Amino acid sequence: MILRRTQYELARRVVGPTLLRLEAWQKARARSGRGPRGGPFGPPLESTRKLKELLSLHYLAGRYADGAVPVAWVTSGFPVELLRPLGFHAVYPENHAAMCGVQRIVPELSDAVEQQGYSRDLCSYARTDLGSVVTGKTPAGRLPRPDLLCCCTNICQTVLYWYKALAAHFQVPLVLVDTPYVYGEVRAHDLPYVRAQLEELVAVAERVAGRRVDPEELRAVTVRAREGSRLWGECLATSRARPAPWTGFDGFFHMAPIVALRGGEECNAYYRLLRDELQDRVKRGIGGIREERHRLLWDNLPMWFAVRELSTLLAERGFNFACTSYTNAWAEAGVQVDPADPYGSAARAYTHVILNQDLSNRLGILRRLAREYSCDGAVLHSDRSCKPYSIGQVDLRERLARELSVKVLLLDADHSDPRAWAAEPGENRLTAFMESFG
Amino acid sequence: MRRAYIERQRQAGRRALAVLPVHHPRELLTAHGVLGVELWGPPGPPRGDGAGRLQAYVCAVARNALAFLQAGGARAVDGVLFPHTCDSIQGLAALAADFGGVAGRTLVFQHPRGGARPSARAFALAELRNLSSALAELTGAPLDPARLGWALGLHAEIDACRAALLDGRARLPMDDAALYALLRRGEWLWPEEHLAELGAARALLAPAPVQRGVPVLVTGYVPEPAGLLPALAGAGLYLAADDYAAVGRRVVRAVPAGGEPFLALVERMLAAPPCPTRGTDQGERIRWLVGLAERSGARGVLVHVQKFCEPELFDVPAIKAAFAGRGLPVLVLEGELERELSGQAETRLEAFGEMLRRAA
Repeated sequence: MILRRTQYELARRVVGPTLLRLEAWQKARARSGRGPRGGPFGPPLESTRKLKELLSLHYLAGRYADGAVPVAWVTSGFPVELLRPLGFHAVYPENHAAMCGVQRIVPELSDAVEQQGYSRDLCSYARTDLGSVVTGKTPAGRLPRPDLLCCCTNICQTVLYWYKALAAHFQVPLVLVDTPYVYGEVRAHDLPYVRAQLEELVAVAERVAGRRVDPEELRAVTVRAREGSRLWGECLATSRARPAPWTGFDGFFHMAPIVALRGGEECNAYYRLLRDELQDRVKRGIGGIREERHRLLWDNLPMWFAVRELSTLLAERGFNFACTSYTNAWAEAGVQVDPADPYGSAARAYTHVILNQDLSNRLGILRRLAREYSCDGAVLHSDRSCKPYSIGQVDLRERLARELSVKVLLLDADHSDPRAWAAEPGENRLTAFMESFG
Repeated sequence: MRRAYIERQRQAGRRALAVLPVHHPRELLTAHGVLGVELWGPPGPPRGDGAGRLQAYVCAVARNALAFLQAGGARAVDGVLFPHTCDSIQGLAALAADFGGVAGRTLVFQHPRGGARPSARAFALAELRNLSSALAELTGAPLDPARLGWALGLHAEIDACRAALLDGRARLPMDDAALYALLRRGEWLWPEEHLAELGAARALLAPAPVQRGVPVLVTGYVPEPAGLLPALAGAGLYLAADDYAAVGRRVVRAVPAGGEPFLALVERMLAAPPCPTRGTDQGERIRWLVGLAERSGARGVLVHVQKFCEPELFDVPAIKAAFAGRGLPVLVLEGELERELSGQAETRLEAFGEMLRRAA
């Protein structure tokens, strides 16, 4: 235990930072003498280097976390603020699966579990994560074994089935926050139910961690989490400027800390750095792409395996995603958490995430984003792996187009599995969509 | 036939609701004098203006239901009840409630997930009272608590009969097609009429086994297409144990306790067999299935799932592994709520039957 704890702290505080500084120095040397990056994009964000450092350190420390500190595997919509005061190292399988998607290793990992009987029709994040568990393969080097699994159904029911399979595999407790779906307004019995579950889960987490939640520490974490969401919102809001200082696809990558490190000071420090850089780019008129002619809204998760290709295809024709409903979601829920009432406010905030509310609310968000970010078109990613996000998009497309007089494209793909993306027809559809702008 | 029956019920003063799968408090509908008419699709390709409103990768139960309701299928009833079974049916409920296309009132029922925690009990109670208020609004009459007590007793009797028929399957001189036609009439008949039919069937139970085929356990969503059952018989098999979400998984064997009827209803809901749509622990579900297989003497397991049905599909590897470890062959059959059983599926059933018969 003491040895593991020492390894964990060394990885986080000494070895990791040293290795990353060395790597950065080597890259800087390799870059020296080369000209600025060409292509249709603006100059790269300086903050990206810090983002890589932050995430690399998180995953490096994770390699030594089990046996050193309690480890929780957590869904992205779970109120992680309640775990932080107990010293949990939080692993986000969705975040990890996105990383696997970027590295295009999803088919290999998925194949491993398809052989066990998992259907290819299941969410590709789930297949990726289960595949990584079965094969031990991960771009993170190693994921720590969980002591606790934490699942919240505010993003989908799929996470519950997925985490039940993980619970059966690891034989560790699974805590569930079951959030009633919100039609219009929450009903009188909805939030007390969620709040009661939060109290039930903390009791389990305390047992696993072997200590009690310190109310002061919980308050401090909640303050930081709220601040982190606010800062992330400020980063996104910079894209209201013309040209937007970054692309919507950049936003998908830079959202990782607000998902995986929410409630920590390093997360907030990062977003201050990013916000300042983005605001500076706005002042200086530097865009995410060189020539921004049209601004689009993206709905749903990204296609992690094709971000580079799609962003290049769009940027070459002067199209930028000024906003995305997915990245925006992380700026809206967290700011509702109130340090004076961590349980009650968490119940409210986590019940009101975009995917746990009805389609009228969703349409309202899309409409507001399209207006605030001056979008003249929208792409709705019909994501085979994400039913809650995709059901209703056929109707949303028609309503958005009619109510805002913008062009809307429904694009069939998957967030992580490239086998569900027909690249050539898909790119042809995108190209035809862009040509329709004249 | 079903439409005419609903019409007769409405003329007799009852209200009718189309009800999406799977779990809903039938006792409460009965107590309010509301006929529940369950909508498992219907089978076949979706037709009409609503057919394209859900993507092709959404399960056929949700896609077909939307197309059916939008094409006027809901006109025969006074509204539609959407239990929050899965992401697809929840999404369908949101679509119907927000963007229309479905005639009549829409009601929702959100059952708690994740077992009988104190929070789940309190939520289930509040949710039942909430639904009761909506039903009172629909019928124009408040609930008489004595009627709920009566409905609890009626459905307990129905479940006792269904349990007797399913658990005593080997002694029932009836083929699968006839048995399942009977059991599934409970999806739309007024419960008292259904109980009379079940009682008559129960009287047929013989003292000793009469089934000659190889017994198998079935687990899955819904026994559609109906052609599956004759095909099983043709392969020399019969369903000796049932864990269909539409059938066996809704048979509550626990006898309701007395006392406050809403509390008794909560306990009945929580006492239902393990079901992934209610967030049951995987280990608990496997233990239940193994118990069913052992008690029925099943020689094989048929996992009959619908394409894109995540609650069922996530458990398939665990089911396969559990029965492989016990030496019971498993056949996974995936369908898309077709009207007819495909030739490929029939061939696979024949091969499965042949293998089991040889092993026997």
